[in-house]
Amino acid sequence: MTDQPLHPFSPPASLIAFLPNSISIGTLVQWALYIVFAFWAIYTLVAIYHWLKYSHASWVAFPAIAAHLFISFALMAYALSGTINV
Amino acid sequence: MKEFELEPGEHVVLEARKHWFLFLAELLPYAILAVIPFALPKLLALVPPLASYATIFDYHTTLARAILGVWLLIMWTSAWGACTKYFLNVWVLTSQRIVDIKQCGFFSREVSSLFLSRVQDVTTEVMGVLPSLLNIGTIKVQSAGEDVEFIMHGIPRPEHMRDLILKYVSVETKSTGV
Repeated sequence: MTDQPLHPFSPPASLIAFLPNSISIGTLVQWALYIVFAFWAIYTLVAIYHWLKYSHASWVAFPAIAAHLFISFALMAYALSGTINV
Repeated sequence: MKEFELEPGEHVVLEARKHWFLFLAELLPYAILAVIPFALPKLLALVPPLASYATIFDYHTTLARAILGVWLLIMWTSAWGACTKYFLNVWVLTSQRIVDIKQCGFFSREVSSLFLSRVQDVTTEVMGVLPSLLNIGTIKVQSAGEDVEFIMHGIPRPEHMRDLILKYVSVETKSTGV
């Protein structure tokens, strides 16, 4: 095998070609993100339910929940930021 | 809602969780995984044959930002899940019993009580360099009559916990006359 310089991956243009013209990559990414966020929401609701139900941990429950929501929303905004106006 | 109701005259003496160092050690893998997307381009650039792959990690593109955001969200949520589990696993020593609350997973919870009047033996173990330096250990509480043993790993100041248990065991034994 001859030594060949490695090249970066190229976008999957052949797959993109199958998409209808009305659907952009940005829209697809956006919907994929919404699905991920839906899973996140379910997990978060279950965890918050546990935090709030068991009162022995309540002294730290509200700051923990607030920190989780704040950081998660910041990360979601970052993930979605690239899809705006694409 | 509480997992257990205190009896009249019963009060909580101590709540013990795993040592904070063990908690941080649990979070370390998530921190390392979260840093990888930022460290990898720099590491790839150091290896000439792989340097061209560093351009993949351009977080100005739509897809790369989405992937990075989701990756960090997964790492953060997983770490927060570990934090939830840490706080929901607790040993409660009351003036009458020891309550072991185990959160095995979401919707999987085990609460066991051992009355101090039934405690036969309390053993502490501190093994290893770091546990000795940080005073992290294991407590084993053996009950009388049955093969029930309460074990809590990685708790801070195990000798203090043992002394407290034994103190309340002797108080409980005197009051019940057992």
